[in-house]
Amino acid sequence: MADTPQYLTLETNRDCDRSGELILRRGTIALLVVMAALALTGFFGQPPRESVAHGEGATIEVLSPNRVRGGLFFQGRFTIIAERDIESATLVLDRGWLEGMHINTIEPAPVGESSRQGRLVLDFGHLGPDDKLVAYLQFQVNPTNVGRRSQGVELYDGETLLASVERTVTVFP
Amino acid sequence: MDIVLRAIFGFLFIYLLLRVMGRRELSTQQPFDLIMLVVVGDLIQQGITQSDYSLTGAVLTVGTFGVLTVAFSYASFRFKRLRPILEAEPLIIVQNGKPVEKNLRHERLTVGEVAAEARLQQIPSLDAVEWAVLESSGKISFLTRPT
Repeated sequence: MADTPQYLTLETNRDCDRSGELILRRGTIALLVVMAALALTGFFGQPPRESVAHGEGATIEVLSPNRVRGGLFFQGRFTIIAERDIESATLVLDRGWLEGMHINTIEPAPVGESSRQGRLVLDFGHLGPDDKLVAYLQFQVNPTNVGRRSQGVELYDGETLLASVERTVTVFP
Repeated sequence: MDIVLRAIFGFLFIYLLLRVMGRRELSTQQPFDLIMLVVVGDLIQQGITQSDYSLTGAVLTVGTFGVLTVAFSYASFRFKRLRPILEAEPLIIVQNGKPVEKNLRHERLTVGEVAAEARLQQIPSLDAVEWAVLESSGKISFLTRPT
């Protein structure tokens, strides 16, 4: 039999058991398949999730993804359904809505904006009984904004709390 | 700082991906191999640099890739035990004109593909091959029988 090429041996380069390498390869590919399958279910964002809270004389619905990835655009839709006269329909958004997020637009524009204990206050003015206000906020995630944050929303009539929604958002890198 | 971390992660991920995909993707020209090699750079770039259009960002990412490349090749050169992990060992796939089926299967290579590579090197038949070795780079080297 001819000699093997220089620096090659039959033990190492022909007959070596590569089952360990094969297991590692298949394991890694399986992991990638699992990640892709999880992504198809929306695990890594960003299907919207609805949260609803009924309060005294008003209902608030929030539709927004609770899992997003750096750089993505997403929409938060806030619906206020008044069951009685609300003098000053005011949304108070937790810092998770704004920390490391770009707000591209708010439609309709609130009549007033301010801050309440570090949270964003959007005043949409008067709502009559059976009035329905839908506010659209368009966001983009800052790529460095990784982690989990509170995205609670409270609905006030002026200073009186009507309803509140507890939410969190997870930002993947 | 995070741009360097993303570059390190991107480098390690591509390295791992290329290692687990096997050597055939490194050199063969099948459509699916080409798709992988052509799009991978484009897909990873946005994840690493994201919205950073700066020259500083480009220097940091390219620099990180350069440093890691040197570090990996130095580790492979300096530490013999790391070599089979960092780069695949050359694999004998034809001996005395006969394909080594186990190794071909391991690398998802067909005898037809090996014969095609041989033809590219002016070898009309595998019968004329004494040794064919799938090198770490994914290329196949052929040593012909003495005439």
